[in-house]
Order: sequence, then structure tokens, then C-alpha cells
Amino acid sequence: MPTTPDDPSNGVLIRRLLALSWQYRRQCLTALTLGAGTLLLELTALGLVGLGIDMIQYHADSGITPISGWLGAQLINEWSPMAAVTIISAAVIGAATLYALLWYGAMISEARLVQDIIVRLRSEVYDKLQRLSFRFFDSHESGSIINRVTADVQAVRGFVDRVIIEGLGLLLALLFYLIYMLNIHAALTLACLATTPLIWVGVVTFTRIVRPAYKRSRTLADDMVLRLSESVQGIHVVKGFARQESEISKFQQASLAVRDQQQWIFWRVSTFVPAITFLTHLNHIVLLGYGGYLVIQDQLPLGSGLIVFAGILQRLSTRVSDISNIANSVQRSLTGAARVFEVLDTPIEIASTTQTKPLPNGMLGVRLDNVEFGYKEDQPVLHSVNLEVQPGQCIALLGATGSGKSTLLSLIPRFYDVTDGQVYVGGVDVRELDLDELRRSIGTVFQENFLFSNTVAANIAFGHPEVDRKQIKHAARIAAIHDFITQLPDGYDTIIGENGVDLSGGQRQRLAIARAVLLNPSIMLLDDPTAGVDPQTEHQILTAMDQAIAGRTTIVITNRLSTLRWADRIAVIDRGRIVQVGSHDQLMAASNWYREMAQLQGAQANATVTPAGTKGSDYE
Amino acid sequence: MSNPIQAIPTGLTHVRRGDTREAHQRPLELGLIVRLMRYTRPYAAKRNWLLMFVLFRALQLPLLAALFAAVIDGPIEQRLPWGLALGTAAYALLALSEVVVLHFRMRLAMELGEAVVNDIRNEIFTHLQRMPMSFFNKTKLGRIISRITSDANNVRLGVQEVLFVCLVQGGQMFVAAAMMLWRDQLLFLLLLTLSPVVWAINRYFRPRLSTAHRNVQESFSRVTATLAESVNGIRVTQGFVRQDVNARMFRDLIADHSEYHLIAQKMHGAFLPLLDLNGHVFAAALLVVGGYRVLAPGVDSSIGDLVYYFFLANLFFGPIVAIGRQYNNAMTAMAGAERVFGLLDTPPQWSDPPDAVTLPRIQGRVEFDRVGFEYEPGRPVLNDINFVVQPGQTIALVGHTGSGKTTLINLIARFYLPTTGTLLIDKHDTRKINGKSLHRQMGIVLQTNFLFTGTVMDNIRYGRPDANDEQVIEAARQLDCADLIEALPDGFDTSVGERGSSLSLGQRQLVCFTRAMLADPRILILDEATSAVDSVTEARVQRSLTSLLQGRTSFVVAHRLSTIRDADQVLVLDHGQIIERGTHDQLIADSGMYAKLYRQFVRGIDLS
Repeated sequence: MPTTPDDPSNGVLIRRLLALSWQYRRQCLTALTLGAGTLLLELTALGLVGLGIDMIQYHADSGITPISGWLGAQLINEWSPMAAVTIISAAVIGAATLYALLWYGAMISEARLVQDIIVRLRSEVYDKLQRLSFRFFDSHESGSIINRVTADVQAVRGFVDRVIIEGLGLLLALLFYLIYMLNIHAALTLACLATTPLIWVGVVTFTRIVRPAYKRSRTLADDMVLRLSESVQGIHVVKGFARQESEISKFQQASLAVRDQQQWIFWRVSTFVPAITFLTHLNHIVLLGYGGYLVIQDQLPLGSGLIVFAGILQRLSTRVSDISNIANSVQRSLTGAARVFEVLDTPIEIASTTQTKPLPNGMLGVRLDNVEFGYKEDQPVLHSVNLEVQPGQCIALLGATGSGKSTLLSLIPRFYDVTDGQVYVGGVDVRELDLDELRRSIGTVFQENFLFSNTVAANIAFGHPEVDRKQIKHAARIAAIHDFITQLPDGYDTIIGENGVDLSGGQRQRLAIARAVLLNPSIMLLDDPTAGVDPQTEHQILTAMDQAIAGRTTIVITNRLSTLRWADRIAVIDRGRIVQVGSHDQLMAASNWYREMAQLQGAQANATVTPAGTKGSDYE
Repeated sequence: MSNPIQAIPTGLTHVRRGDTREAHQRPLELGLIVRLMRYTRPYAAKRNWLLMFVLFRALQLPLLAALFAAVIDGPIEQRLPWGLALGTAAYALLALSEVVVLHFRMRLAMELGEAVVNDIRNEIFTHLQRMPMSFFNKTKLGRIISRITSDANNVRLGVQEVLFVCLVQGGQMFVAAAMMLWRDQLLFLLLLTLSPVVWAINRYFRPRLSTAHRNVQESFSRVTATLAESVNGIRVTQGFVRQDVNARMFRDLIADHSEYHLIAQKMHGAFLPLLDLNGHVFAAALLVVGGYRVLAPGVDSSIGDLVYYFFLANLFFGPIVAIGRQYNNAMTAMAGAERVFGLLDTPPQWSDPPDAVTLPRIQGRVEFDRVGFEYEPGRPVLNDINFVVQPGQTIALVGHTGSGKTTLINLIARFYLPTTGTLLIDKHDTRKINGKSLHRQMGIVLQTNFLFTGTVMDNIRYGRPDANDEQVIEAARQLDCADLIEALPDGFDTSVGERGSSLSLGQRQLVCFTRAMLADPRILILDEATSAVDSVTEARVQRSLTSLLQGRTSFVVAHRLSTIRDADQVLVLDHGQIIERGTHDQLIADSGMYAKLYRQFVRGIDLS
């Protein structure tokens, strides 16, 4: 279990879980009351059957002890034997029906309670997740975040129904059974139950042995699946290097490892289960021997004594093995709670202050003033960055991977806050603006242009779900994607993504541009929109951008010369510093680095002038 | 019992019903069962022992209950302390033998199931390795994985449980019935009248329960799909200030899911108590009828019959429910088996002919003679391709997306066979050669730059498994990139892949180049990555590439200008045909399609 040093202690978690359960005390109480009712009725029905047998036996063989107890005594005195048996039978059916109804009620009320908790907790966690700053998402894997809303929330509510309700229910059941049995015959009760704690000990030990084994089994199975999935994903490598045979033998080893691990578990399961079964048998053996002796000695009635005992022992043994489930649930809910509470407790780092300044009207400029920033305290990414973009200007950011370009961009919509210095939009420090208003005035085209599995229209209208089709089409035209969309099977209603139509990189990129354009933002931020596309696609995206950025303040990250041509100015970033700012021509003249990069991209294009020389000559 | 839910809330994402889900169950089918049973043949001894233990158990359980009743009816009723002691001892012995049999019956069944599934998994994997490329392009990875995971598991459950549990339960029911019938016919008739009720309850609830559970799962898959996109798209969400809208949609979605949950719970809440009620009704009826017969004069019946029935009846009703549950498992196993066998029965579209020629060391001459190709009949992707490549030449392939470049290299790699015409490698028709003997002399580097989980060293060695560490490092040196690999966190021992550290695109490319280099292929196929890597790495990649191409027949789907310029021949493809060919300089001079593409490529750059 991965734990961080500042993990909350179990005590704190249990206190919080108890507080959570306390909020649902009324529903818990209802479920428990219904549970207690079913227990009583169950015992009543069982006792009545025993009484019925005794009654028949008493009348058939009057040599035995008369039946005690008010109901038995009354029935014997006042009713004919058959009438008494019939009444008892009717009572059994009555009690059993009531029992079934209460049981149904108990199950439903518990299910309702569980769903109440889940819906509330899930909404809460999801809502919080949506508002957490990027930093949280950077430091957690997406799978783990998803689990917090699904499995971890389940584990937390498990504390209420699996631990509290079921635990108390179990206690209640054991208490009721015990009282009932003690009432019938104390010594027999103790003799029969003497081995029961062993069952509990056995179950707990077994879980402790087998649980890690199952975990290992899952890991091995994951390895096996990984072998398969890689051999499929890399099938061209496998086939290309003629390595099918070795892949097969590797998979067989992995599969065998799973099988061996499973066999290990099977051996233990198939030893443990019969052993526990024997312990319950032991209860019955004692009951038969000692209980039978008591019946012979006339110290115990046959029906309401021996047979009822047999019935209760049966139920008891199932209940006892539940204890280990409860113990597991405690463990699970503690782990889940730590992860759920972590989300709920994470402060929202970036939020509007109470006193916000309005965003000025008209076109907005952007200014970075001595900006320092690092994702982690001791690892600065940007150093004293100064950059001014006049309203309506286009600035291109250029630099190697990891130089800090994307980071710089993400400071403007306040995805992160600067460590030092200021970011101004429209002359106001972004931290003094209303966060939503700031972000709505910025259209961002991300590098990994994430689209949702939804219709094309819904994706374009993501920022303003309420807009009409006309506005969506307008945005699509600006992004030069309208013609393509109309050719799709359902036009704007075509579903894209995982279960829908696959889009190429260029198409996705243009949809992302349309999505940003729809906001009609004053500022456009584009993070390397032409990365990883072929020249033809690049051309399409450039056309889209051309219209999209007209009349807006634009900052575009790019490594491509073809994109740099619009920029009024180009800022070259190296290891978190702006090292050069200027136009293309200025940089070509002034910067060796820039010139080299330009040449690598085939700028000596004109090109045939330079003789095609020796191989690799274009890098010196 | 509750209102069906009308509209499925949608919003952030669309998850279409049933489109990704495969049939969950399938009726029993003898053919499938027989075929599954055939897998137990290698384990015949285990299986036969198991069957014996199953029979034992079917006898033991009713015997145990009957003995308990018999001790009550005999020694206890007749007050014989010594008889009681003997009876209890017999009961203890029988109980002991029961748990011993239980151990073997459990263990053997589980082992048998696991062994069968292990064999099935291996068979699937081996079969997959024989499938041609076209199969992998058509089949989603998730589908293939579920064949060896969930489907195989369902089959395992079928082998481990369904058959043997049904045999135990059925046998137990039969033995219990025989014992009760022998003891008292009238009471047995009473039992029989109630068994259809149990059966009917079961029949009514089982399918509804499984539908309810499926709905729960389906609505949950909508929740997780939305959740996954919410998390992965969080930057977009916050950038476009959509938090509130998303939260509302999500709340609807979980409310919908929880509604399905409630429906399923209500179903359970009715099913279990009803079954239990049935048991109580029988007990009550037993009291009345049995009591009447014990008390009525002239009928020879004792309280013992009652006790007997009280203990044995459960062994008669229980199996009805248990077998009902197994029936569900059986149908799930059938669906799993059908899909597994469906995959195993898919023949490879093509495989090496039986008289395939094993290639000797080749020179590397490649000739396309009127080659045409179509992935789907009637939709040609390549038409009438003719060209000859002499050993050692470098060919650059240029063209728009979809022009046929990738298909062309797929044919050279023999991932596909030409539909028409012939493709000759050193005068051998690729249709008539042994694929492995060709692939051992071929190096392939594709855009994906796929690396397996393992160390960098392992990945490079994949090209030549018998190479030692020195040879691996030497290959990297020849490409002049050993220093870059050594600069990784653990040098050549850096682990990569799903669970390893992530290499940058340039680093991955270099590892793949080294892998191809180590294989020392005669023919090299390279699909250059389009993504730009930063300029320093880019320069190294280009230099390595030049060394890699040296002295081998090479086909490059080119995106780098330098690669194209250095090629001996550039083939320009458009709509599946070669429309221009020649060197870079010749093609520029011709000012055709290539010249146009080239201009687009360097558009906007003015060096003057």
C-alpha cells in the first residue's frame, strides 16, 4: 500500500468515518431495527417448528415430560392435538411471512442508504476534482484519480453498511442466538460452541495467508496480459524480426507462472474449507452425542431443544465466517477513506479572491514581469521571464523540449500561479481577476488536444454549451473544418472519440481550434498546434490558424519555421530563460542557434544551390 | 416492481448501449461442451478421480443428514445410551470422511479448470502469432485481451464448477429423494408439490437478476467512461470553465446508476426471502401432515419420519437453487467458450506454403512487377507498381497520407502478399518463400518506435537474441549514439515500456535504430516519425540514420528532407500509383507533384 509520510493515522480516519456514519444514523438505525426484527422472527419460526415436533411427540408418546412455556402449556391444555399442531403450523407460516417481509424491508432500506451515501460522496469528490489545480493532476496518475471516485468511494461507504450495520447486526445475532440457546440449555450451549472461536481464528488466519497470495496471482496475471498486449501492439516488431517462437515461449512461461501460483492457492483453499467444515461438523457431533444424551435423560426436549439447536448451529456457522469479511471491510474502507479524504481535503490552490477587479474592455495585452516558476519548490522551470505582448500582436515561442514554453503559456490562464513576479492580462495582475472571467477570455489550444467522446457540435460548443448551431458552424468555418464536418456520416451530430469516428491529428487540431474560437476570446494560446503532422496537414492547420488568430492577441508555441512566419516577434526560450526576442530576419542574422535550427528544417531549400554534399552535412 | 428508467442521461460523453459489449450469455450447446471436455483429455486421470469423488459426495451429504435423523429416531427415541454413543461415533467418522472427500473434490476441480485454461491461453497465443498482419489491423486489442482474461475465466468457471457442482447437487438431490421416498411416500408427495414453486421462483428471478446486474454494469461503464474523460480532459474543462456543467451531468449519471442498483437490490430483496419462506412453508406443512399421521389412530408412522424429513428436505430444495445458479454460470461459460473457439477457428488468411523456400543470405535486390494490392476486395490501394531496386540502394517514398506508402512497405516487409503481380526479392517470389528466413534478414523501424517492457539492452537485443552485451553496445557505437543511451538514468539497463521510465521520442527512435542495426539486416524498412524532436536530438537521429542505411537496401517513408535528398531514388506515390520517380534534383527540375509538395514543405521560408 503506497503511503506518504503525512498519511493520516487510522485513528483519525476512523473518527472521520464514524462522523460520516453519524450523519446517516437514522437510516442506520432503521436498517438495524429491521435486522433485529428479522432475527427475532427467524428464531420464533424455528422455535415454533421445534414446539410443533414436541407437541406431536407429547401426544404420541405421553410418557415424556410435559412441555413447559406459556404457549406450549396453553396449547396442550386447551386444544385438541391436531388443532394445536395446525395452530402452530399457521403461526410458523405467519412468522416466516413476516420475517420474509422484514428481510425485504431491511435489504431495501440498506440499499437506499448505501446509494444515498454513494451518490452524495461521488458528486462531492467529482465536484472537488473538477476544481483542483493542475498540480494535483500532474502528481497523480489518472487511473488512481478515477479510482477515488469509483472504488474508493465504495470502500468508504462500506464502512457504513459493511462495518457498522453488518458488524452491529452480527453482534446482535450472536447475542440473540446465545441468549436463546442458553435459555434452552446452558451446558449444552457451551459444549456446542466450544469450538466456534476456532472457526473465527481459522478464517482470520486463512485470509491473512491467502490474501497476499491472491495479490501475487493478480500481479502475475497482469504480467501475462502485458505479454499478450505488447506482442499484439508490437506485432510488426515480432514478425519483422521473426521472433514468434520466443514470444510464444515467453507467454507460456508467464501463463504457467499464473497456473502455479493458482495451484498453490487451490491447495490451501481446498485444505482450509474442509477444515472449517469439519469444525462446524464438530458442533453437530457434540450436539448429537451430548444433546442426545440429555434428551434420553429427559433433560432436553427433542423438538424445541435438539432440533432447534441444530438449526441455530447451522446459522451460527455462516455468521461466524462473516467476521473475516467485516475485518476486511474495515481495512478496505480505511485505505479508501485515506484516498477519498485526500481529495476532499486538498485545498483549491487557484481560486478567485473575494475582491476581484473587472477585466478591461477591448483587446487585451499580456505581460510577464520577472516571472519565476517551478512545479516543485527546488526545481525552478522559469527564471526572471519578461515578455510583453501588445494587444493584437502575435508572438511565437521557440525552444527545445523542456525549455519551459508550455509552462509559460499555462501561467496566463492561471493554470498555475507564479512563484514570484507577476502576470498581467489587460494590465491587471491575473490573481486579481475573476478566474472564470479570465479563462473565458482566453482560447487555449492544448498540445494534446483532448476531445470528448461526444458529437462534433458538443465538442466545439464545449465552452458555451448553450450556443446555437449557427454559431458552432461559424466557429467551424473559421477553423477551416466545416467542409470536413459536413462530409461526416451524421454531420455535426457525428460522435467522435472512443466509440465513434476516428479523426486524424490535423482534424482533431482544427476541431480544437474551432472550440477555442467559439469563445470569441480576446487572447489565443496555441501550444505547438502543428507538432507531429505531415506537411499537407500542417498546411491545413496553418490555414485554420490564420483566420482564428486574426484580431486577437496570440501566443503560439512552435518548432516549425512555417508557423513562425506570422509572428510579429519570436521569443527563443532556453532552459527557462528568454534568450532572444526578435523577428525572423533579426534572429536569422543574430542567432547561430536559430539559423542552425532553420537549416535543419530544410531552409536551405532554395536549396539546390547548396550542393547535396556528403551525407549528414546539414549539421555541422 | 419499479419504473424502468426512461432517458439515459448523456452529456459529457456518449457511451452507446451494447456497442462495445459482447453477448454475455449463450444457450447451452452440446458441440461446445464436447469440445471443452476434450481439453480435459490430457488430464484424464485427474478428471476420472474427480468424478469418483463427486459421486462419493453426492452420497455422503444425504447420508450425513440421514444418520443424524436416524440417531434421533433410533437410540435417542428408544433411550439407548450405548446406541447413541455408537451412532455419534459413526456420525463423526462419516463427517471426517466427508471433509477428506471435500478436499480432493475441490482441489482436483480447481486444478483441472486451471490446467485447461492454461492450455487454452497458450493455444490462443500461439494461434495469434500465426495470424497475418491484416488480423491485427482489424481486431481491437481489448477484444484480444478479453479472450485470455474474462472469456478464459468464464470457461474456467465452467470447467471447475458447473459440471461438478451440478453432478454433486443433482446426485445429492437424487439420493435424498430416494431416501425420503423409501421412508415415507406421502410426505414425499408433499415435498414434490413444493418443488415446482422453488423452481418457478428461481426461473422467474434468475434472468431478471442477471438483466438487472447487466444494467448496473452498463450504467457504471457510462460513469467510468465519463469519469476517465473528465480526468484526462481536466485541462480543457478548466480552461473552458465547464466545471459546473460537468458536475451537473455527472450527478445525473450517478443517480441513474444508483437507480439501477436499487432495482437490482429490490430483486435480490425479494428473491432470497421468498426462497427462505418456501422452506418454512414446507416445515409447517410437514408438521400438519406429519402430525396428523402420527396422531391419527391406525396409521403406522412415527415422529422419526418427521425428523427425518426435517433434515433431508433441505438437501432436496437446496440443489434446485444451486443448479439454477450453475445454469447461469454455464451460459456465461458457453459465451466465453464460443468466443475463444471462434478466435481459434479463424484460419490465418494466408500462411507460408508447405514447400516454401528458405532464403539463403540475400543480396537485397527487390523488384516489383505489376504489383497491385487491396485490403478489401474491390478497393485497390496499390495499382500496377513496377520498379527495381539494386542491392544497397536507398529508396525514399513520398506522397500524401493515404497515397499507399505504408502499404508498399507492408508488402516489402511481407506483412501482406500482393493481390496481383509479383514481388521478387533476389529473384524469389515472396509468395513462395519462408517468411522467417526473410524476416531474419530484414530490419523494420516504424513510426510507433515500439519498445517492449524490459531494459533498453533487452529491447536492442530483440533484433538478435544471441548477441552479447558488448555486441549490443558496439551496435550503438556504430550508430554513434552509445553516449546518448548511456546518459539515460541507468544507461543500457534503463527499463522502458509500460512500467519503465518514459524515453523521449528521439531516444526511442535511437533505440529502435540500434535494434535494427544489431540485426544487421540486408533490407531495411523505415517509416520516419513525423513528430519533430528537439533540434539537438534531431541532428543525432539524422546522423545515426545515415550510418544505419549504409550498405543495405533501404526503403524509407521519408519526412525529412535530408533523407529524401540523399536517396538513390525517390518514388512519389499518389492514389496507389507511382506518379514520379528519380532523384531529388531530377524531380525538382521536372517541377511536377514532387516539386509542389516540396514547396509546400518549405513554404514561408525565405532565406534571402
